[in-house]
Amino acid sequence: MNAFLIAATALLTMLVLPGFVVLRARPIDALVALEVCGTTVVLVLLCLAAGFHQSVYFNVPVVAALSVWTGSLIFVRFVGRFR
Amino acid sequence: MKTSDILVDLFLALGVAVQLISCVGVVAFPDVFDRLHYAGTATTVSPLLIGAAVLTRYTTSTGGISTIVVMALLVVLGPALAIATARAARRIDFGQVEATDAERSG
Repeated sequence: MNAFLIAATALLTMLVLPGFVVLRARPIDALVALEVCGTTVVLVLLCLAAGFHQSVYFNVPVVAALSVWTGSLIFVRFVGRFR
Repeated sequence: MKTSDILVDLFLALGVAVQLISCVGVVAFPDVFDRLHYAGTATTVSPLLIGAAVLTRYTTSTGGISTIVVMALLVVLGPALAIATARAARRIDFGQVEATDAERSG
């Protein structure tokens, strides 16, 4: 187990903290926590790709980064409009 | 242990620590705007540190280029998302994005 896999495990464990806010807080606060979750997941995927030494795995965090940003922007749009 | 290994460990440790502080900040602070500060740190500082760790190992390979793309996406698009979220929060909490009369008067 190399340093990248250890970092990925640590980052994955951290998802519990913003996950708690996603479940318990107001929708707009939950959205902020969801953005942090998304960024953390992208970093986890990046660390896993580096940890497994597979260059093809590096495409996954690129797609995840784009998807997380687009999804969060759509959520922001609708949470701001329908309060 | 090579210098590059030490650099990778250092960047990874710093990146994970910054992400941990951001996650704790999002949980600890009750206000949405305070939480956004920590979310902003999570989307800019930690991707740069963890990306630097990956780039130290995979400099000019496909993985390195993909890492640069991921870092650029997170660092450039993250603040735009934070601004959009802050505007939505202002609209929900105050009914308008602009400063209220009470805020203008001081």
